[in-house]
Amino acid sequence: MTTKRITRRRMLGAIGTAGALAALPACRKRSDDSGDATRSTGSGKRVKVGLVIPQSGVYAPLGTDMKRGWDLWLERHRGMLGPYQVTTVVADEGESPQTGVQAVQKLLQRDEVDVLVGIVSSAVALASQTPVKEARKVLVVANAGAGAITGASRTPYIWRTSFTNAQISSVMGQHLATAGAGGPVYLIAPDYAAGAEVLAGFRKTFTAGGGQIAGEAKPAFGKTQDYQPYLTGIRESGARAVFCFFSGAEAVSFVKQYSEFGLAGKLPLYASGFLTEGSVLDAQGDAAIGIQTTLHYSTELDRPANRELIAAYREKFSATPTVFTVQTWDAAAVLDRALGTATGLDGDSVAAALGTVGAIEDSPRGAWSFDGQSPKQNMYLRVVEKRGAAYVNAVVRDLGVFAQVS
Amino acid sequence: MIGRPGSAATTAAVAAAVAAAVVLALAAAPLVLAPYAVTVLTRILVFALLAMSLDLLVGITGLPSLGHGAYFGAGAYAAGWVTLHASPSGPVALLVALTAGGLVAAAAGCVAVRARGIFFLMLTLAIGEIVQQLAESWHEVTGGSNGLYGIPAARVGGAALVGDQAVHWWVLAVAATAAAGLWLLASSPFGHALRGIRDNEARMRALGYRVYGYKLAAFVVAGAVAGLAGGLLSAQQRLVTPAELGLGTSIPALLAVTIGGAGTLWGACVGAAVVVLVRDHLGASLGGHGSLLLGAVFVAVVYLLPGGAARALSMPRRRG
Amino acid sequence: MPAWLDTHLVSVLNGLAIGFLLFILAVGLSLVFGMMDVLNLAHGVLFLTGGYMAWAIAGEHPSWLGFAGALAAAAVVGSLAGVGLSLATERLARRSHLDQALLTLGLALIAADALSVMFGDDVHAVGPPPGLDGSVSILGSAYPVYRLAIIAVGAALAAAVHRIVERTALGALVRATVADRQMVSAVGIDDRRVRVAVFGIGSLLAAVAGALGAPIYGVRPGLDATVLVLALVVVVIGGLGSVRGALVGALVIGQIETLGRSLLSDLASFVLFGALALVLVVRPHGLFGDPSGTRS
Repeated sequence: MTTKRITRRRMLGAIGTAGALAALPACRKRSDDSGDATRSTGSGKRVKVGLVIPQSGVYAPLGTDMKRGWDLWLERHRGMLGPYQVTTVVADEGESPQTGVQAVQKLLQRDEVDVLVGIVSSAVALASQTPVKEARKVLVVANAGAGAITGASRTPYIWRTSFTNAQISSVMGQHLATAGAGGPVYLIAPDYAAGAEVLAGFRKTFTAGGGQIAGEAKPAFGKTQDYQPYLTGIRESGARAVFCFFSGAEAVSFVKQYSEFGLAGKLPLYASGFLTEGSVLDAQGDAAIGIQTTLHYSTELDRPANRELIAAYREKFSATPTVFTVQTWDAAAVLDRALGTATGLDGDSVAAALGTVGAIEDSPRGAWSFDGQSPKQNMYLRVVEKRGAAYVNAVVRDLGVFAQVS
Repeated sequence: MIGRPGSAATTAAVAAAVAAAVVLALAAAPLVLAPYAVTVLTRILVFALLAMSLDLLVGITGLPSLGHGAYFGAGAYAAGWVTLHASPSGPVALLVALTAGGLVAAAAGCVAVRARGIFFLMLTLAIGEIVQQLAESWHEVTGGSNGLYGIPAARVGGAALVGDQAVHWWVLAVAATAAAGLWLLASSPFGHALRGIRDNEARMRALGYRVYGYKLAAFVVAGAVAGLAGGLLSAQQRLVTPAELGLGTSIPALLAVTIGGAGTLWGACVGAAVVVLVRDHLGASLGGHGSLLLGAVFVAVVYLLPGGAARALSMPRRRG
Repeated sequence: MPAWLDTHLVSVLNGLAIGFLLFILAVGLSLVFGMMDVLNLAHGVLFLTGGYMAWAIAGEHPSWLGFAGALAAAAVVGSLAGVGLSLATERLARRSHLDQALLTLGLALIAADALSVMFGDDVHAVGPPPGLDGSVSILGSAYPVYRLAIIAVGAALAAAVHRIVERTALGALVRATVADRQMVSAVGIDDRRVRVAVFGIGSLLAAVAGALGAPIYGVRPGLDATVLVLALVVVVIGGLGSVRGALVGALVIGQIETLGRSLLSDLASFVLFGALALVLVVRPHGLFGDPSGTRS
């Protein structure tokens, strides 16, 4: 028994030494502040960008799309943002706000990036305000939709090239109020902050336009696989149409079950565009046909910038881009312009430069500009159609330009 | 196996010396390590305190809990809410956290402690899930799924704790004190009674101990210390979300206790360090496969190191 | 009949479908714990593996051959995994039950990540086989035929498992080991083969449940954790080691998840664990559990 314990102890000792050796890189000298200023004025200028995207967990497919959009933009622009050569450092946002904030802290403290881009989850984006403010670096949010990120209590360091949750749904509310929904509308979205914001946005413009709400349901977020109890509630409520917000696995389950339980032909389904965006549309299949959504992008938009992006993306990745790709693509475009006019790489200069960017004419989603720190952009009414063997979100109509809604 | 006279005192002295050395090394760390490494170390300290509190429950009292995150989260939310809305004082927030964790544990423990074995496990799981769902739904107070963000820096003795060094020293001071307190408790007659209950509950009852009372007390102490750890999390991370309350925290804590060796409080600290480093750092550098690595490390430890790291690292000494 | 009664009856019917699916999933977990005091926390990953088999072999528009092949593959993979798990935990037979349970948890973490590497992180849908992919009108509303098929299959499996446990020698051994393990080995029976067999069959059933459930639940990373928690709740409510308990527990949870959610829509998120907590407080050994307390 003594020999066994010595062997175990040796093993643990070896592990401990290996661990200590691995920790040696952490014993760098603490960097002093003057380092940042010298970097931007030297020749062969470089900028370090931290890309915060989910690489594991339920949001990983979105992270893949975002990274591809970022890489493709850089590839087509010789790897430069403004006059700077770009080094991208990727960090995993993970599934929980904790891992997301850790990723942001890692990029800011260890990798000492100049700019942060990305973030899918609103909770992570909201929590990132503190480290970003204290480090005085700019964060360009490429997805998270909470209104508060660029709302009344915003920080000048956080900009957004995506959308606000209420922006997308308020457009649908306005459209249904004017075009008529055929009767009262039932609202359903998962019980979390984004779901509440989406429904609030819809309800405000829909009821302002004279619409009636038949009822509302908030299934538990991430814990509901079977929607039958809610679908029977919808039928019972006397609604003539349904407005919903789901994404990812819940979007697939809900749409399929909506069809299986016989509501698809009888009650038209309207939604915020994420219900049918990306790989979920393939999983939904025929059950999704006829669903109308509003979103600030569709692969079917007939614009040269969009056609170019789709062709390049298909050639490189053998896949079709999604709204997440375009949002990150635009983040690169916006940073390119800002860094071209910024006086330095510190947060204050970049933030000031972002304020003077003006209209982005050549974006795949259509021309857009910043309203405050979030996009004011065209919203499209889309409907799911089958074209050949593929399902697409065909563009029915351009509903006009809409500012951010909190 | 029966020790020489005086060996217990020698062992205790050695243990105290080692502990003091470790604390000194941790205190010196921010002067040597880069900021991010210090942040990681601080996070390990918070998780280690949580793991120690769970070890009191699992290793010393023999009550395996799958819902310990609930008390951790209760403390974190209480401290976060107080710092956001009432007072930025660090000590006040921690006191509130300690109380919150203890109160929630008392309420849960009254019901849970009557069960044993797997039923206790499942009941603690159910309570943990209910408390987590409460945090998600009660968004007026807890901020719902976004949680409490933008928590201002805690103020200790008039100065705000900004920057990795100050936060680290505050967390170290509190965690070391709490750990010392737990160790004293575990070495006291109360701790011995708990071990007796773990080893043979029927006999303890026959000897006249009020087993229910002891178990409930252990549950409340473990919950209070977990709440204190939650308060430290709130001060360090400046963010509290419902994810802190669920299985995402309870399971790694249980893994940490087992890797380290259940029953010795310091083993839980080693286990906590292993879990955080493997899952968050080795895993991140391998492209997001942290849970696979953690599972592999756990399986390896369970097979190769019975009794966990603590038994493997400890000097031959009498049992107990 | 009044409309509200119709809709709630549909919920009851759906509860039966979900309940029978949960029974196929949970009965293995219950018997393994009853026999060996091993809480198999890898049970959820077995379900997910079965689901991925269904997606890989059957796909979104499967033929009968494809679907049957998927079920067979799930059965084979499940039983092999079960045998593997049994051997893995047997080496720790003298350690605490918590260690064995956490070992299965470690293996589950590894397996879940491996599945995500093999099959990607996307959400996938699996279709029912032809003929079962439509909906019929029940009490005025459409109801998917596939779920009715699940009720039939589940009931048949429940009857088969019950028959095996009550009428065969293997079943007698299982019941005896659940009741008093030491007596069984004192009598001279090598319970190791029985344990491997029960672990293998229980895991087989879990994987098959995953393949059968794929048209309802889909397949995605993270489903294993959700399903494991459901299975644990079923098993604890029903009482450990009892087939009848697993059936009753599963049907009760099925109803709670459907009828419960539609009746108590505001408290829908709390219904499941509230019910579990209630049962454990009132009857700590579950509805059909053994109150003698030899197991703790």
